[in-house]
Amino acid sequence: MELGKTTTIRMILGIIKKDSGKITWNDKQVERKNVNFGYLPEERGIYPKIKVYEQMMYFAKLKGMKVKEADIEIKKWADKLKVSEYLNMPAEKLSKGNQQKVQFMTAILHSPELLILDEPFSGLDPVNTEIVKNVIIELVKNGKYIIMSSHQMSSIEEFCSDVLILNKGKTVLKGNLREIKNKYPANRVEICSKQNIENIIKEQNLDICFSKDNDYEVKINSEEDGYKLYKKLAENNSDILKFEIKKPSLNDIFIEKVGDK
Amino acid sequence: MRNLFNVAIFTIKDMIRRKSFIISNIIILLIIVALFNIPNILKLFNNGKDFDANAKLLIVDENNVFDGKLDVIKEIGINGYDIEVSNDSIEYEKIKEKIDNKEYDEAIMVDSFENTISIQYIVENLMYVDSVPEEIISAISSTYTNIQIQKLNLSKEELLSITPNFELNLTQTEEKEVEGNNFVMMLLSIVLFYAIYFCAYQVSTSITTEKTSKIIETLVTSTSPKTIVLGKTIGIGIIGLIQIAVMIITAFISKTLFLEEGILDSFINFDNITPSLLVITLIYFLLGYAAYALIYALTGSTVSKPEEVQSANGPVAILAVIGFYLSYFTMMNPTSNLNEIAALLPISSPFCMPFRIMMGLAETKDIVFSIGILLVTIFIVAKVSIKIYSSAILNYGSKLSLKDIVRIYKNKND
Repeated sequence: MELGKTTTIRMILGIIKKDSGKITWNDKQVERKNVNFGYLPEERGIYPKIKVYEQMMYFAKLKGMKVKEADIEIKKWADKLKVSEYLNMPAEKLSKGNQQKVQFMTAILHSPELLILDEPFSGLDPVNTEIVKNVIIELVKNGKYIIMSSHQMSSIEEFCSDVLILNKGKTVLKGNLREIKNKYPANRVEICSKQNIENIIKEQNLDICFSKDNDYEVKINSEEDGYKLYKKLAENNSDILKFEIKKPSLNDIFIEKVGDK
Repeated sequence: MRNLFNVAIFTIKDMIRRKSFIISNIIILLIIVALFNIPNILKLFNNGKDFDANAKLLIVDENNVFDGKLDVIKEIGINGYDIEVSNDSIEYEKIKEKIDNKEYDEAIMVDSFENTISIQYIVENLMYVDSVPEEIISAISSTYTNIQIQKLNLSKEELLSITPNFELNLTQTEEKEVEGNNFVMMLLSIVLFYAIYFCAYQVSTSITTEKTSKIIETLVTSTSPKTIVLGKTIGIGIIGLIQIAVMIITAFISKTLFLEEGILDSFINFDNITPSLLVITLIYFLLGYAAYALIYALTGSTVSKPEEVQSANGPVAILAVIGFYLSYFTMMNPTSNLNEIAALLPISSPFCMPFRIMMGLAETKDIVFSIGILLVTIFIVAKVSIKIYSSAILNYGSKLSLKDIVRIYKNKND
């Protein structure tokens, strides 16, 4: 979908010219000389014939790091991202996931204050996704600011406090994620029970969106519908393992805002 | 400045590790060694005989046309021949056998009838003879004339009046004097063209490789497009210089090891290869390379697939070939006015100015003017290339047309 994420990021970083407006960070124009930023592009790129360590060192030097300092950082992050054993191998010999982690390293080596990640998890297997997630969490804990662009709304919900949804280069939604979600009423209940409770739900005139092995997702019109259902299940002595009244996910909001357009 | 150095060093490391680079350079060096071994190779195919050893020539005068005095021809000598003269009666079949047995390479049978002296020239295969052996005919003819003159018992004065000494003086009407070694300079111009062209081409390939491997997006956010373009140009230029130095050293070692001393003296006068020639050649190599490399940086950034590089570089190649031929034609006629234009045009001046300077055809103001034009050209080309590079490098679509390039340049200037 051509939404304009990558183009916006390229404008933020000054790689492409913007038609109008100003992009600042701490009142400074976002440029290499003003802001210490790191960037993981959506397009995965690496020097295939060159050893991983060497290309890491090259980018570290380009970002102004001294050799000794760069060496320490390369080894530290390679260890955290579990690519230490590949440092002396030509990049083309690494799996795609490991190549992606190497590229992620180039974005964070120089300890940027602002980190821009374009689709950081796409193409990663669950193990590598977890490794990268942990590093991102660590970076946030260390006070780094992260701008993350993704199609995967679950990742955005997991990491981001503020969101901006674009469609064809136009802003369709922006603001604090919690505030946005609070504006939407609860629209479903997730239930996990020990026995079949389909009849009880239907008695309440509620629609089941999804059911599998006594796990249910039930559509509700308000939180009140949820409380009523909970009460009914309790009256029937149903063994409920999980009952959660849920607001629309970011995925739902995205589909609502972008899907029809 | 530091990043310029980093990009240059990285480009050098990247280039010298490529298999294609290593293999092509090994092949070039082997060709150089082989070229200097041509005499030895020819010797191998010539049954161990030196290719430039004198051919054995047998002259048979069984009817004493030369009054038994044909031995004189041995004193006069014929270049490239060891001569043996026989007044015995030897049949054609016998001579043929001697040639087949490599006892002689060539033979001549002399005979006369009425007022004509017939010369039968016998050789194993006429294909082995460059042309009609005019020198042999001329030597035989002048030997015969001398023998006949001696028979007339002429006085010394009479003899001198028949065979006067001719003194040849050459004078040119143009003021410009052509000096130096034409062959060396032409060779140098050809080497300069190939060195400049192929090194500059590498810049384009290197940029396209970075674009196609998508590393460029990380790169342009790590340092400025200007640093990338100039760093690459410098890095590949250094490799080019090292390549040329290695080739010259290989050629020099090969000459010392494999060639007999003095064998090249008739082609190349090494006294003409002076330090000032080397400095001037180096300056023009660097300037010519910079101009072409920066144009190639532009074309390299406009394509998205390695297979498109060649077609994108086509117009630049045509420009370079026009430049080369312009300088080549003027070398054929060093004093023509076209030469002055070729010496000033930035596309041809790097190839022909070293030639003109060494031939004593260029004045100081010509050199200053030509270098000035080249520097201005490099500056303009660098500015345009960097501008277009920084926009075109992230265009992953189809190859950019000239119209697109002009549009990008205009947008950047807004």
